[in-house]
Order: sequence, then structure tokens, then C-alpha cells
Amino acid sequence: MLSGTEADIINSVARSRMVTKDQIRRQVGFSLDYIGFLCRDLVRRGYLDFSNGHYFLAKKGIKTLLAEETPKVDRELLKEIAGEVAKEIGGELKKAVKGIKIPVKEIRKRKDLREKAGQEAVKIKTDFEFPVEDETLALESNINKIGTKLEKEKLNIDKSVELFKKFKQRGKG
Amino acid sequence: MKKARREEEAIGALKGEVERGKGIDIGTVFIKCAQKEGDEIGFRSQRNAFFEVEHTDFTKKILDNSKVKYIVKEDKLYVVGDEALQFANMFNKETRRPLSRGVISPTEKEALPMVELLIKSVVGEPTYKGEIVYFSIPGEPLDADFNIIYHIKMLEGFLKTLGYTPKSINEGHAIILSELAEEDFTGIGLSFGGGMVNVCLSFMSVPVFKFSVTKAGDWIDQQVAMAVDETASRVSAIKESSLDLSKEEGLSKIESALSIYYNHLIEYVIENIKQEFSKARRLPRITKTISIILSGGTSLPKGFSHRFKQILDQLKLPVPVGPVRMASQPLRSVAKGALVAASADESKK
Repeated sequence: MLSGTEADIINSVARSRMVTKDQIRRQVGFSLDYIGFLCRDLVRRGYLDFSNGHYFLAKKGIKTLLAEETPKVDRELLKEIAGEVAKEIGGELKKAVKGIKIPVKEIRKRKDLREKAGQEAVKIKTDFEFPVEDETLALESNINKIGTKLEKEKLNIDKSVELFKKFKQRGKG
Repeated sequence: MKKARREEEAIGALKGEVERGKGIDIGTVFIKCAQKEGDEIGFRSQRNAFFEVEHTDFTKKILDNSKVKYIVKEDKLYVVGDEALQFANMFNKETRRPLSRGVISPTEKEALPMVELLIKSVVGEPTYKGEIVYFSIPGEPLDADFNIIYHIKMLEGFLKTLGYTPKSINEGHAIILSELAEEDFTGIGLSFGGGMVNVCLSFMSVPVFKFSVTKAGDWIDQQVAMAVDETASRVSAIKESSLDLSKEEGLSKIESALSIYYNHLIEYVIENIKQEFSKARRLPRITKTISIILSGGTSLPKGFSHRFKQILDQLKLPVPVGPVRMASQPLRSVAKGALVAASADESKK
């Protein structure tokens, strides 16, 4: 069973067919880290697939969407897409669109383009390594001679370290 | 001393005492480094402040004899660390700070060499080349028009120059790693520092949102100083030494002003958390109540957590709140959390 936020992600992916983590974040909200964490988990559980930086629906995701297993699946979205299809091909189909669940490619493409034009911000992808000189070498100081204040505390952080490692691994799927 | 420290670390490493990985809290007021040493954690710290005094050989000699830390840069002599605050109070002036509002001060010309020296003095040399060090960074400020990219890149570059593999960690997130293992790292970490208050909501160790506000301890000091015509350094000294927020009667003028501004700051932070929740549109489905951890030097006065709970009860968050408690060691939790992250990465190598 999917949680509410997971269902939102499934809806977001269904809406755009192939989406980046950042595009999902824009639609669903929350931090990029959190969305990444949930997406990786959905990939692990077979709801989503991932390739070339994009998420798309996997078998289980499509099945969930069609089978109406999840109460949070966005019926409004399906209706909205169906409505657009109806407008596109004329009034005749208007009455029959209620049952349409798979969006038409062209509509989706146009929707994607609209979204991209309006929402996509420039993302910095390079990791600029800036060399910083050690300016302290030119300073005279007695800090090392006097030393720093050292306080010791009897603490066992092993449990926290192991748990954090476990969560990180789980997140990576 | 440097050599002695290196030898001490090398011998410790051979004995299996000093373990790999370090965590540094680079705060506006203190710089603190945590390192695992057997079943203990060693915390090395420096106050992030300096004060210019007259540069003569005689002054230097006096400072050396009194074990007061100093730095000579060009023709200037600066007292650094805790003693800088004492000197400032003695001369009824303000200390200078390499960091302002959580980042390298844009207006302080000595900021960079000063912060580098202070960091170097607490972090020492790496146990081996490429040792992982996690350093704390603030969240993007909600109420100021600056970002933190320059700050991160300069610190990262400097730690690399020292031979480390630096990685950054949000201050609020570090608090969660330090204090909320029992709650599966789910909750809100709040760091009430000198230059900023940092907030992070984490779910299963993953930050959901994180941000900072630039009203914090220094802001309280400045507002109180203006209100009662005192120096901010003196207000800060009183705040750190004797302020009791649970006291309701017999307050001095400065204590009354401090109490008023503490109230204002807490309310400001809670309102900003509420706004972030509303911006997030949908909240993670967390079945349990959320714990809140209070930390940082500005949270140290007696009665702080009680005051926080009182205000939180009135303002209410849009999620069920569980225990609100102080971090076990409010001045160490950021460094400790950064150490947890560094140890986890080191043990994967």
C-alpha cells in the first residue's frame, strides 16, 4: 500500500510520463533529498523505473494507477487529461471521456512543454572545486603553543552510526 | 604542540583509540570539532571572535605569559577566543567576528585567515590523507538576501587544502543525527545559534525541509543593547552567565529586555516553521508524534525549553508534536551529529 506522498509521486510521474527528481519535487513539494529517498524506495518496490536521470512508471505503478488500489490516485488528473483529449478531438467524444485513463501522447507532450517553459529553473550541475590557499601560514600565533580547549565525553555513537548507515543504504535502494 | 598532537593521534590510532572521521560545527560564535577516541568523544573548541590590542613586544610577552591566545597579522595584534570577549568587555567595546549571520563575514576583512586559523587549530591534521570530515553549514536563509554558496566553497576548499575529504551537513540535520536515533532520526532539529537559527524536519534521516532565519542570539544582544544603552558584548556576557528565563520577578533592566526578545525570537522561529509546513503543501504521513530537539548556545539559559513549549502550545504546528526537549549537550550536538555522518562514511570505506 502506498502512503499519501508516494501516491502523489506516482500521480506526478503518470502525469508527465518521464520526469526528473526535481520535476517531481516541484509538483509534490518537500526537499529534493526527501523526494529522492521516496523515489528510490518506489524503484526498489517495483512501482517506478529509473533510467538516464528520469523516473517512469514500472509495471506495479501502472497496475496501481489502473486498479484504483490507492485512494490517493489522482482521479481529477485523469478527468483533466480526458477533458483535454475531448476538447482536442471535438465535442463528439465529450460524453465518453469518463472512462479514459491513458492520456494521449500529444496532450502530454504539450503539457510537458508548458510545464518546462514555465517552471524549469536552471540547475547547476558542475561541482566547481575552488582551491583555497592556507592563509594561516603567513600568520604568527601562539594558538598551537597554548593548545585548544579539549573536553571529553563518554559517549557511544556506534548505534547511531549503524542506524544512519542502514537508512542511507536503504535510501540508495 | 602541533607535533605533539600529531604524535598523540598517531599513537592513539595505533592503539585503536583515535578513530577515523571528524565532525566540525562551524558556528558564528564557536568552532567545535568532535573526534571519536575509544569509548569517548573528544571535543576541541575555540570561540569564533577576536579583538585588536596594541601591538608591542611587551603586550605579546604578557599575553604569552598569561596563556592568552593571539594572532599577529602584518602590524596588528589580535587576541582570539574566549579572552577576546573578556578584553572587549574590559575596554567597553565589541569583539570582531570572522563569521556573521552564519557565514564568512562579508564586511570583516580579516575574516578568512582568522576562520582558517581557528578551524585548523581545532581540526588538526588528518589521521590519513583524505580522512572524511563533515562540516556544518546553515540552511538557506528565509529572511535575508544572501546565499551560502561562497561560504560552503571556501570552507570546503580550505579543508581540502589541509588534506581532508570535506562534506557538508546542514546544522539542523546534524542535531537530528546526534539526538534522534531512538526515533529513527525523525523529528525537528532546532539550533539556536549566535548568527542564525537553523531548522530541519527530518523523516527517517532524510531532510524534508531545512532553512535558517537570521534573527538569533546576536540579534537579541543587539536589540537589548539598543533598548537599554549597553554594549552587545556585555549583554552577551550576562545572557551567557546568569540569565534565567523562568524567573518572573526581580529582573534587572537587561534581564527584562532579554526575556522580551527571547519571546519574540521563539515566536518568530515557530511562525517560520509553520509557514514552511504550509509551503510544503503536503506533509509526509508520519503516524507518530514528532519530537523537537532544542540546541545551540542561545538555547542555554535556564527555562528556555519551558518558554519554547509555552509559546508552541499557543501557536501550534500543523503536525502532532511529541516531546520537546533540550539536546543532551546543546553546545556539542552539531559537532556530534557531523561526527555520526563522518563515522558512517568512514566505516563504509
